[in-house]
Amino acid sequence: MSAPAALKVKDLHKSFGLHEVIKGVSLEAQKGEVIAILGASGSGKSTFLRCINLLETPNSGEVWLAGEQMRMTQNRRGEIVPQDLRQVEAMRARLAMVFQGFNLWSHMTVMENVMEGPLYVQGTPKAQAREKAEALLAKVGLSDRADYYPAHLSGGQQQRVAIARALAMDPDVMLFDEPTSALDPELVGEVLGVMRDLAEEGRTMLVVTHEMGFARDVSTRTVFLHQGEVCEEGPPAELFSNPQTPEFQAFLSRMN
Amino acid sequence: MENLLSYIPLDIALIAENFDRFLYGVWVTLNLTFLSLFLGGLLSIPMAIARASKHRVFNPLVQGYTYVFRGTPLLVQTYLIYYGVGQFEVIRQSFLWDPILSSAWWCALIAFTLNTAAYTTELLRGAIADTPKGEVEAAIATGHSYRSRMRRIILPSAFRRAIPAYSNEVIFMLHGSVIASTITLQDILGVGRWLNGRYYLAYEGFITAALLYFLIVLCITWAFRGFERRYLRHLTRRDAAAQTETSPLPTPERV
Repeated sequence: MSAPAALKVKDLHKSFGLHEVIKGVSLEAQKGEVIAILGASGSGKSTFLRCINLLETPNSGEVWLAGEQMRMTQNRRGEIVPQDLRQVEAMRARLAMVFQGFNLWSHMTVMENVMEGPLYVQGTPKAQAREKAEALLAKVGLSDRADYYPAHLSGGQQQRVAIARALAMDPDVMLFDEPTSALDPELVGEVLGVMRDLAEEGRTMLVVTHEMGFARDVSTRTVFLHQGEVCEEGPPAELFSNPQTPEFQAFLSRMN
Repeated sequence: MENLLSYIPLDIALIAENFDRFLYGVWVTLNLTFLSLFLGGLLSIPMAIARASKHRVFNPLVQGYTYVFRGTPLLVQTYLIYYGVGQFEVIRQSFLWDPILSSAWWCALIAFTLNTAAYTTELLRGAIADTPKGEVEAAIATGHSYRSRMRRIILPSAFRRAIPAYSNEVIFMLHGSVIASTITLQDILGVGRWLNGRYYLAYEGFITAALLYFLIVLCITWAFRGFERRYLRHLTRRDAAAQTETSPLPTPERV
């Protein structure tokens, strides 16, 4: 038997009130895969990503991380809740997330942001956490900004810090939620460059994005979501050159 | 110097003669003010968390408490504790009476602490609620537990945001502490009142008291300017970080 998938999502459903946003999405990412998730706004792609680390609680479905299932249960009021919050927290620590709005901790310096998770979630000794943070900041090209506060950086720099912060957790899977959508056009390239490097290193990544170029050139598999369902899925070379459904055709022509 | 002083229509010699009393008054005022700010501050943290997290049981309880203590004058609260509580035989018989509730100093401390705790709770509640949602989500996504993100992300961020407003609370509390003088305590105003009562000289006592309060407020404002410069660096422009504006002097008096 082969090793379990790095990340497996099975039949995920999510509703906000009466409105069903995710209508049974399944997805499997093997180690080292880069999966680009495309879709028009409102297609549920961000919600799907946020359900994986339980920033949103799915109404049903399973999330497995390297063969370990996130255990959910129902409380007395019939709401779906984690069975063991500790387990969820431990799994979140292995599922780093990069947000559209960067979400760096504004009262901490760049260095403190990157050291926070290792120090206070994983319990890494301080010297070791600092050493690692320094290496990661060098990797994203921001060694000279270690003492800056996030507000004193450009959007592109902030997002690169956020990527370093995510990497500091040595995550099994990285979730990117539209990482370049809030950036000025001239700053998109530097962030995509860092993400491209990560893909080449063999990181397992789920990337919700509007960057068609990135999906086409970097992803190993592209998933197109439409109205909460997987509409098309496959290697980007095939998908982009030969879209099967009218929905994806229409989406592609709108994006180009 | 002698000649210049003779133009001031105040009996400087009398003030100088009694200055040690005023210094003792300063000590009583500072002691009461900062001790109650410290204790009230400690009390306010769990209460603010209960308010901000809308705890099903504690939120309404704390809200009721802050409603009462912010809705009534500090003077009335102090009187109720100092004059009121002693009316009950049970309390006079209890262990609380002898060292604590029979003493004006303790009654003032309790009233001031409860009062400032109510104001600080609401101030902190607002600061906690204003924590950027994305920063909390980032902490959740990193795997922080509730306790750990409260301690590492939410409170440090909220405390910083609360600094400018809290400087007003400190100054309010200092000025509110004059109420101690109405229940026999010799704080700064207490000494001023004593001087007035003894020599029938209003200006000597009260102007000296006013000047002393003013000097203390200057020190407080100065200290907070330092705190803001140090702890709010991340909110200022990097090049402007050296010249942060401070909050203005307080507006209305709470007595």
